[in-house]
Amino acid sequence: MRPEPILLVEDNADDIMFTIRAFRKNQVPNEIIVASDGVQALSMLLPEDGEPALSPILVLLDVKLPLVDGLEVLRRLRADPRTRTMPVVVMTTSNEERDIVESYRLGANSFVRKPVGFAEFEDAAKTLSQYWLRLNEPAPSWRGGG
Amino acid sequence: MSETPQASADRLAEAVRPLRRVGLEQLMALIDRTSAVIYMRDVEGRYMLVNRQYERLFGVTRDSILGLTDHDLFPPEIADEFRANDLAAIATGTPVRLEEIAPGDDGPHTYITVKFSLTDADGEAYAIAGISTDITERKRAEDEVLRLNAELERRVRERTAELEASTQELDAFAYSVSHDLRAPLRSLEGFSQILLEDHAGQLDEDGQGYLRRIRANATRMAQLIDDLLDLSRATRADLRRVRADVTQIAEEEIAELQQASPDRKADISIAPGLVVDGDPNLIRIVVQNLLTNAWKFTGRAEHPRITVDEPEPGVLRFADNGAGFDMRYQDKLFDPFQRLHTSSEFEGTGIGLAIVHRIMRRHGGRVWAHGEPGQGATFWVSFADGVRSGDGR
Repeated sequence: MRPEPILLVEDNADDIMFTIRAFRKNQVPNEIIVASDGVQALSMLLPEDGEPALSPILVLLDVKLPLVDGLEVLRRLRADPRTRTMPVVVMTTSNEERDIVESYRLGANSFVRKPVGFAEFEDAAKTLSQYWLRLNEPAPSWRGGG
Repeated sequence: MSETPQASADRLAEAVRPLRRVGLEQLMALIDRTSAVIYMRDVEGRYMLVNRQYERLFGVTRDSILGLTDHDLFPPEIADEFRANDLAAIATGTPVRLEEIAPGDDGPHTYITVKFSLTDADGEAYAIAGISTDITERKRAEDEVLRLNAELERRVRERTAELEASTQELDAFAYSVSHDLRAPLRSLEGFSQILLEDHAGQLDEDGQGYLRRIRANATRMAQLIDDLLDLSRATRADLRRVRADVTQIAEEEIAELQQASPDRKADISIAPGLVVDGDPNLIRIVVQNLLTNAWKFTGRAEHPRITVDEPEPGVLRFADNGAGFDMRYQDKLFDPFQRLHTSSEFEGTGIGLAIVHRIMRRHGGRVWAHGEPGQGATFWVSFADGVRSGDGR
């Protein structure tokens, strides 16, 4: 069976490349789908007109995004019964308290600050994949596989 | 001891004698020389008597005014009010005290007036007497004070709004810095690392060395940005004044430092019961920075010693016997990113004491230091509202 995909919501092309590279290096077999702005992410996860929805095993969500920012994406995901229990890890450059507070208030499962050091970045990707793809038991109402 | 009846009678006679000599003329002189306005009207409001001050102020003579009423002298609404006040004084039968406004040469004047009725043998009121004192000057001074207060409040509101705007701007700036300035550094760092991992064969030893230096600098710049944000946070954070237990904070911070380098041995002495009125989160940052410095700069001391105590009320002292510093450079100590040691001697970006300085200033307090190279450093922080000791832990 093909493993469920990971959705990476990220607008920075370099960060997209680093993230994919770090996951590959850690032998993460899951497909990594990229949405480069908030609107695109929402149209994949909460499509209108009966389109099939993407059901990733994990969403890595940046905060600062074009069009619709990450926190707004999170708010809409949590407001919709289809994605209320979907695992979302906010992964961003800042460690501004308000981003952290707001992320958790809106129902993020975790908040990770992207390290500047590449070795630390790879470590973070490794830990994330081990935890969210293997160890974590998702809510019964959330079944990936889209 | 009681007086004899004769002595008592003599004393009374003595007291009354001057009164007997006071005649109408003297009484008129008395009411004419006061600065108050004095007048008497009958129950119908017709003037019976006015004093000189009344004549001067309203440009009348006491002969011409006899038999006239206020309605002959003042605009109707003012006359109506005077008349109503007269009637009120008659009705209550006791003196009434009130504020009246009458026209004057330079605009309306305000008076404090006492009015009382005069009664005949049957207790029937036959006249109203009034004594009015001009309080216009006092009133104007009061109005001026009110106006100045309002002006002051307006300025405070303006300044507060300006401050809030600049804090918001700083906030937005810092937010943008924390999001946007680190991302390019991650790219610098990441691609340098990828070059080293995937293309090392195409780079000689020098080339690889340069890449490592790019990486080290990117990492250092990220640290500087974080430090700058910490400094800005110390400025922007809401200050909540409660009771902060410095002894406990210091013990926790030392425990953390000890845990991070378990091999280090140091003689630590933290006085019990150190409590200040301040923001516990910000006070923790102060204690953390001072103790981290003390810990760092005693790293090469033979018998490292760090003490925290309260040498005098309101002052906390953090002393160590570490590397110290040259007092010639003490004015640079609290400037952001100023360092008195090279990176190879002791690591750091030079932001810690700048943060301490800012936090103490926000508490209305201050920080100062004494040092000597090789002999250690001592830092004092003082709180405007003092250190509360005793009820400590």
